Amino acid sequence: MTTLRLDPAAELEGLAAGTKPHLIGVRHHSPALASVMPAMLAEAAPDVICVELPADFDRWLPHLADPGTRAPVALAGAYPDGGLAFYPFADFSPELAAVRWAYAHGVRVRCCDLPLTATADGAADQAVQGPQITFAAALAARSTGRDGDDMWDRAVEVLAPGCAPEAVRRAGLGVGWALRRDAEAAGGVPTRDLVREAYMRKVVAEAAADGSRVTAVIGAFHAPALTAFPGDEVPPEARGEVVTSLVAYSFDLLDSRSGYPAGIRDPRWQQQVYAAGGDPAKIEEAAAHVVTAVCRALRDAGHTAGTGEAAEALRVAGDLARLRGLPAPGRGEIVEAITTVLGQGERLGRGRALARAMEGVLVGTERGRTAPGTPRSGLGPAVEADLEALRLPRPDEPGPKEVRLNPLGSALDTRRELLLHRLAACSAGYGEQLEVAGTGDGTALTTKWRLAWTVAVPARLDLAGVRGVTAAQAAEGALRAAYRREGADGVTCGLLLRQLEAAARCDLPGLLADLVAEAETLLPSAATLAELVVALDLLEAVGRGHIPGLTADERVGRRVRALGDLLVETAVAGIPGLAGSDRPEDAVALAGLAGRAAEDRLGLRLDESLAELCRTGSPLMQGAATAARVMLGLDDSAVMGGRVAGWVDVATRPETRRALTGRLTGLLAAAGPLLHAAPSALRPLMERVENLSDEGFLARLPALRGGFDILGPAARDRVLAEVQDRLGTRPDLTLTASPGMLATWHGADAAGRAVLAALNLPLPVAEAAEPTPSPAPTRAPAVPRRIAAVDRWRLLLGRERGGLPASCRGYGRALDELYGAGSGEGSQDLGAGTEASFPSARDWSEELQALFGADVREEVLADAAAAGRLDVLAELDPAAARPSVELLTAVLTLAGGLPEQRLAALRPLVRRIVEELARELATTLRPALSGLATPRPTRRSGGPLDLPRTLRANLAHARRTADGRTVVVPERPVFKTRARQQADWRMILVVDVSGSMEASVIWSALTASILAGVPTLSTHFLAFSTQVIDFTDHVKDPLSLLLDVKVGGGTHIAAGLAHARSLVTVPSRTLVAVVSDFEEGAPPEGMLGEVRALAQSGVHLLGCAALDDRGAPRYSVPTARRLAAAGMPVAALSPLALARWVGDRLRGERA
Amino acid sequence: MTAIAEERAPTARQIVPAEERHADELAFLAAADGGPRPPGWALTPRAVVTFICGSGGESVGAPGVPSRVIPVKFVGERSLVERCVVTLAGERGLLLTGEPGTAKSMLSELLSAAVSGTGALTVQGTAGTTEDAFRYGWNYAMLLAHGPSSDALVASPVLTAMRTGRIARIEEITRCLPEVQDALVSILSDRRLSVPELSGTDHATVSAAPGFTVIATANLRDRGVSEMSAALKRRFNFETVDPIADADAETALIRGQATAVVERAGAAFSVDDAVLDALVTVFRDLRTGRSGEGWDVERPGTVMSTAEAVQVAASIGVAAAYLPAGDPLDLLPGHLLGVVRKDDPADHGRLLGYWDGPVRRRAEDGAALWRRLWDARKHLQ
Repeated sequence: MTTLRLDPAAELEGLAAGTKPHLIGVRHHSPALASVMPAMLAEAAPDVICVELPADFDRWLPHLADPGTRAPVALAGAYPDGGLAFYPFADFSPELAAVRWAYAHGVRVRCCDLPLTATADGAADQAVQGPQITFAAALAARSTGRDGDDMWDRAVEVLAPGCAPEAVRRAGLGVGWALRRDAEAAGGVPTRDLVREAYMRKVVAEAAADGSRVTAVIGAFHAPALTAFPGDEVPPEARGEVVTSLVAYSFDLLDSRSGYPAGIRDPRWQQQVYAAGGDPAKIEEAAAHVVTAVCRALRDAGHTAGTGEAAEALRVAGDLARLRGLPAPGRGEIVEAITTVLGQGERLGRGRALARAMEGVLVGTERGRTAPGTPRSGLGPAVEADLEALRLPRPDEPGPKEVRLNPLGSALDTRRELLLHRLAACSAGYGEQLEVAGTGDGTALTTKWRLAWTVAVPARLDLAGVRGVTAAQAAEGALRAAYRREGADGVTCGLLLRQLEAAARCDLPGLLADLVAEAETLLPSAATLAELVVALDLLEAVGRGHIPGLTADERVGRRVRALGDLLVETAVAGIPGLAGSDRPEDAVALAGLAGRAAEDRLGLRLDESLAELCRTGSPLMQGAATAARVMLGLDDSAVMGGRVAGWVDVATRPETRRALTGRLTGLLAAAGPLLHAAPSALRPLMERVENLSDEGFLARLPALRGGFDILGPAARDRVLAEVQDRLGTRPDLTLTASPGMLATWHGADAAGRAVLAALNLPLPVAEAAEPTPSPAPTRAPAVPRRIAAVDRWRLLLGRERGGLPASCRGYGRALDELYGAGSGEGSQDLGAGTEASFPSARDWSEELQALFGADVREEVLADAAAAGRLDVLAELDPAAARPSVELLTAVLTLAGGLPEQRLAALRPLVRRIVEELARELATTLRPALSGLATPRPTRRSGGPLDLPRTLRANLAHARRTADGRTVVVPERPVFKTRARQQADWRMILVVDVSGSMEASVIWSALTASILAGVPTLSTHFLAFSTQVIDFTDHVKDPLSLLLDVKVGGGTHIAAGLAHARSLVTVPSRTLVAVVSDFEEGAPPEGMLGEVRALAQSGVHLLGCAALDDRGAPRYSVPTARRLAAAGMPVAALSPLALARWVGDRLRGERA
Repeated sequence: MTAIAEERAPTARQIVPAEERHADELAFLAAADGGPRPPGWALTPRAVVTFICGSGGESVGAPGVPSRVIPVKFVGERSLVERCVVTLAGERGLLLTGEPGTAKSMLSELLSAAVSGTGALTVQGTAGTTEDAFRYGWNYAMLLAHGPSSDALVASPVLTAMRTGRIARIEEITRCLPEVQDALVSILSDRRLSVPELSGTDHATVSAAPGFTVIATANLRDRGVSEMSAALKRRFNFETVDPIADADAETALIRGQATAVVERAGAAFSVDDAVLDALVTVFRDLRTGRSGEGWDVERPGTVMSTAEAVQVAASIGVAAAYLPAGDPLDLLPGHLLGVVRKDDPADHGRLLGYWDGPVRRRAEDGAALWRRLWDARKHLQ
């Protein structure tokens, strides 16, 4: 290693003055050096120019220098193992300038870097970096990343304008020297670089051997190493064939943010600096062009950006440059100035538009081309060679052909599968994957493709060729481009997951690592629970190597596993969002998630979330959370039993009975596995059921049956068996008294009976239904029970109906009408319940009335309606029906599918329910909306002086002055408060009708109808799913509104908000409330942008995760958080809370 | 040395204004840099940058002036300060936005002290701020007794700044009502304020002297800049002040300021560096939503500003000095809970999530400090 421990100035002088060789230290892209390159070379007048390019590229130099070649172009060398060396060139690449000058002046050029075919010790760690083996990237990497980049920029680029070529050369050499010294100080120059430098020295020495003057155009970092010739030759070893190519390239790929190696930021700007040729005035002019172009693009995007701002931005850029002592503004100054003046401190919304405008103006999309006559190279030939090697259809054997691959079993098939996926990613139109059916539950392990080499394939490969020279690189480029295009308005989690899977299938570790990094930020903040589950599965497949051909990379694997852990935590954080759910799937998901999270460790957070759900969730989630807590060992199963028994006890009113159904459903859905293992957990419930009075049991029977309906028939059979076991052991348990004592009791009983009979008193009614006499009838509780314990269970489980006594069959039959046999395991078993169903809904309804009473009948019928039985609705008496949102929900769900004739029959029912509910609601809401702001006098100085009042208040302080005038000294001035102008306010309710929101939709419509009655408020009602429908005309008539809303479809909140925005006329007097579950189907950026735009204009925004009387929402927590950050607070509200919010705003009280 | 002596001067004030605290540095910089100055400026733009960002440990000086080192006063990007100075040099309004507690107000005070020699021309924006604060008010007793005259007029800080060609500071501009904010539009565009009550006299209009401009600060967490009118926004250059990027710099700043607070309370700051490191780490993780190890952290709705970290450090310091009881580290979870749990109850869950994630992982990795914090989790519930 050369030691450099001298005075920097002297050292630099030595470097610059050297002529063996004459050194030009460059960075791979440098407008400053490129524009002075011809002048420097003309002055040095070399015989040979050595350029730092691998020697393999010698044969491409004439084509590179050809005047017909238009930059940007790229030289590439592909190793057989997939590694790639990549050297893009633009007009502002100093090497390209040197090569062009040399060919124009008849000077020899030699590539002096180590051939790609050669490798050396220490290459192993280089191979990991793969495409990073370029000097620009090397420079950036050797110099602590961005700081080093800035260092070159600051020390060379921005200072260069107006300087002499020699000064620019020295600046470059100086930076290289400094970087090298840093590297040496920080642990030495990597072996690979030392080997390369040894080779460079060898080539330079060979070139200079005949006395020629040599100029070496090499990376500034390497310059100090070329001055000494220690003669340490490292014999390079062969690394197999390298395929080199010269391909067209484009500015958008050249930009360093594109994911391609060896790029530079903002190529179009660099091109303009190069074109300015080092003249500060011309650079200022270019800056002016950039600023005006950005302003224009910003205006096109709908933001204000006038000439005044453009002039100010240009001034700031220029003044910054002067403050920093620069001859002309550089890229950094321009970006800073534009951001300061035009960004207005917003990172989303305007900031995003500005970033896009700057990208368009500074990056550019110009495409290069190779000169006519350049040999064909790149993707097409590379793919043909691959196909040949893998014996797949190719030009000389075009197919079509169907192949079945076993990628997990055969190495050859793995490679084939990989290539086919990559070609598909490049849209080569070569193969088509066919469906393969799996066996049983398992997924298919083999894949099937239909392949053909058609004429379109080479043409498409040529198109894709600009993105890379091998299938892997082109696939990566194509995937990245598609991702950027689709994600232009913001990346959705779905898109990211699709891309992640594609990257894994195509085995693109670089892209995969980038995406995993992106997923680390995006998924935790934006994914819904469903997406998290998908992501967890995908990550598990990647982490465990279940994807064929995916290179096992320990670093990626570790990150993937870490991400998996992270996502579990995220999912735990999202649990509160399930609080309002009434879907059994969510209960199952909750249990699964809790189990998954607890596998690793049981967090405080999960504990608290579950406890919270137990207390405040919807009935279903309360049940599920209760079960989950027991399964995780947070609660004892006795606690759960007690709680369940409590639920049964309170189920005396319709609401609590409905809650019982929900809680049981949630509990049983979540605790399925638990019940297998420890059915005794339900014992308190069993006792409670058996101890209820007959009336109590019958009133709760439909609710209990509904709750147990979630279990499949087989599972219910198991519960029944457990019950029978338990009941079967009862005599043993109760035989605590000795047989002798029992005999005594029996004797006493018999004697008592005889006495009663003798006195002619009525005897207690014999328990006719009980098939076997109870062993100790006198110990029975005071309440007589007609229905035996086991029959109760038969009824509420809906099993073994054959075993029921005749008196109970009616109940079973009436409920079977609603629940049927159930679904799932055992539903095919036809052992029971073969009785005929009711001939008509009327019969059924009457039977229910007779058996259970009116209240329960109504509940059962409403449930039946909700389950899709249209005919039962006719049985509900409009006058007698108890108005409830549940019933209304059920009716309205069906109303959507009804012909007008049937609808007409329903109208009275709906009208009555709606009117009742609206009347109740109005009573609650009215106080919140009353009261108006009135200006009052005040002693606080603020508004204008209230002269009459001030005079009146201060007459006591009147003084007569010496000249006879009277002066009132206003010790206590009185002011007017600012009177608010009474302009009309506008309330826009934006309501999601995409599916799970029925209750909230009803409450929204009711609330809207009441708000519509407030005189200073005009109320709009927008219903949206993927489309937006304006129901403002119907807003005063909730009945017709509700009958017209069609529930269903996806969620596109941005569309709803966009329509709301079009209704805004006076933003500061507009209220927008969005009622939704916030599971946006479109990219969230659109929605966030709309929210931000509304918030910026001053509209009062509120998001309602639920609008109902329960206040337990089911919504996407991450989205809600992002919305809140964008300016729309999200909460679960009752209509009263919403009305209070509206009232507060109208009265001018700010949040 | 003299600066320290002055700082300890027995003036019974809790806080000494920047222009007095750094008076001799300002005088020195004014003497040392004789370059051209924008009209009305006390220093050259370059000297203003040096004053705020420090001279990087090197002595600066000029012929005839003894050279000295200028210490750093604002921890942050130098380029940000440069942009601010360039904006002010163009007499354009400067709006500093950012999370609460990112030293926006301090930067604005330093800038105005350096540029116009005083940071006192300040309007504090609140919901109750009226137009009088931007324009002028009246001495009503005088107004009623003598009628409108320039004597009865009470000039606002903005009006004073206009007359004298100085910088007016407006704190928390977005908390003013939009109608009130818009009083600034005409001042910033016409650079003139008319007083209709005095029409017919020489005082009917006040024109801004060269050098007048406005530095406003706005808090992104309150109402953001959303309620500002587009017309007003167009008259400002916006700079976003980010939280301190460098953990070590933040720790040093917190230690410095907490020491000062504790010393004002009459005790010595005796909190261990390890505790401060843990404090800074927790604050930074919760603020950025990402731990130093790259783990995702759920951000609470509360701002986790450096200023609040200073308060926590100072409270722990005072407690350790006057109420010594065990390890000050045990106090940290309780204080954190106080900082985090302000308005959103869900933030409590987020803090628990942080304990479950990064704290526990670090404890499992064997860090004794984090193990102690994990053991202290009961204080969080």
